[in-house]
Parts: sequence; C-alpha cells; structure tokens
Amino acid sequence: MSRSSRGSESSRRPRAAAGASGPIKAQAKPSEPRGVEIASKTENDYATPRFRIFIIDSGWNSAAHQVLQENFGLIRDLQKEDPIYVLSKEQSIELIRHHQDRIGREPLIAVHDLAAMDRSGTAGFHGFRLHLGLMRTPQQALLALQNFARFLSTHRHSADLEAEIRTDLRREGLAGAIEIILHHEAREIGG
Amino acid sequence: MPERFSDFVAVVMGALALGYLVFEIDRRRRKLHDVFDVLDADDANITARLEGMVDSGELQPYAGATLA
Repeated sequence: MSRSSRGSESSRRPRAAAGASGPIKAQAKPSEPRGVEIASKTENDYATPRFRIFIIDSGWNSAAHQVLQENFGLIRDLQKEDPIYVLSKEQSIELIRHHQDRIGREPLIAVHDLAAMDRSGTAGFHGFRLHLGLMRTPQQALLALQNFARFLSTHRHSADLEAEIRTDLRREGLAGAIEIILHHEAREIGG
Repeated sequence: MPERFSDFVAVVMGALALGYLVFEIDRRRRKLHDVFDVLDADDANITARLEGMVDSGELQPYAGATLA
C-alpha cells in the first residue's frame, strides 16, 4: 500500500477552525442519502471538529450491521461536535473492492484526527478505526460500539492521541494477560 | 530416578503452561488490534480516498436520524 499519500491538507480543517470564512465546498447531495433526513450540514456548522468520522458498511446481514443501524442516532447525538460521513452501500462496496483485506470486517468506522493530519498528513499516525464487523454477536458489537463512543468522547481534546491509544491498547493487553493468569472467562470484547 | 523423572515432568509442564500463556496473550493482542487500531501509513490509501470524497463534495456530513 502506498505510504506517500497525504491527501489535500488545505481543506481538512473547516475554515471556521482555520480562521477563514465561507463555505468550503459546493452543496452536493450524497449519491444515495440514508436516513429520514437529508444531510443539510456542512463542516462549517461544526464549531471546531477534532475528528472526521466515516462509516463504511457494504451491508452484510450481520449482527454488527444491525447494531449499528439501531444505535446510529445515539452515536450521532453523542458526537455532535464532529461530522459523520456515511458512505452509501454503493460507495462502500466500491471502496472495499479496492481494499479487499477489509471484506467482512465492515461495518468499519474510521476516525480521522484532523489535528494529526494537519501536522503530518497520512504518513504517520492520523486516526484510528474500528472493524465492527469482526464482532460476531450483538452483545459484542454493542459493547465495542459503546467503548468506541466513550473513547471518542473522552479523548476528544487529547494533545497526544496516538500515545493515549497505544497506552490503552497496552493496558487492554495487560488486562487480558492478567485474566488469563487468573483463569477468568474470556473477555466479552476480543475474547 | 523417580525424583528426576518427576522433576523432568514438572519442567515440561511448566514450559507448556508458559508457552500457552504467551500464545494466548499474543492471540488476544492480535485480535484486539484487528478490531481496534490506529490509522498509520498502511492506511494512507483508504484515508486519502475518503478525504478526497469529502474534498470533492461526494460526501457530506450526515444529518439523518437513522441509517435506513
């Protein structure tokens, strides 16, 4: 995979956050709007978004897909500060076709850290992602989604998000090791 | 001799237990990273694609209440 792509950094931050004014792009409608209300916001409607959240779901009839559908409204309400981009089924399939290693792992939630991308583009750390489709039961998927939403909210103002994520992952790994040693039941997530 | 043999069995069992522990921890670590991980240079392609879709106006912030 290419390691050089850095995207177009000029439009990553909304103008409001960058100190400029005016719309950042034309009001194109999504090719296949989802939900009961047509998207009408631009990034200017978000004060100073830290993240861009992308939901990629090609529509597998899975527990994770159902859980995401049922809880999306709550996720959106909890993340009002950051824009959420929902790819249509066709857009998701087209994207996944070019990244076959993601097949069966969707719904995929990718979170781009605008602060990190402003610093170094996509060459290094620039966000995090959840392969919700790897969760096999509704309970696992819901727990993963809740943990993800909590992580987003609690780390929104983090100065060094990468370090905090890696620390959390290490902590999870250590917790897993302790559980094994203590012969506890498998953890609900990733167990 | 029996004492030596029991020592040998204990060492083997201990090694097996340790091996299992290492294997299980590594398996869980990999599983966790499969589910949740950072985006880095390996994900640059898909990130650039998504950012491109936003920049071109193909994607707009979603304001719907549900994913129907």
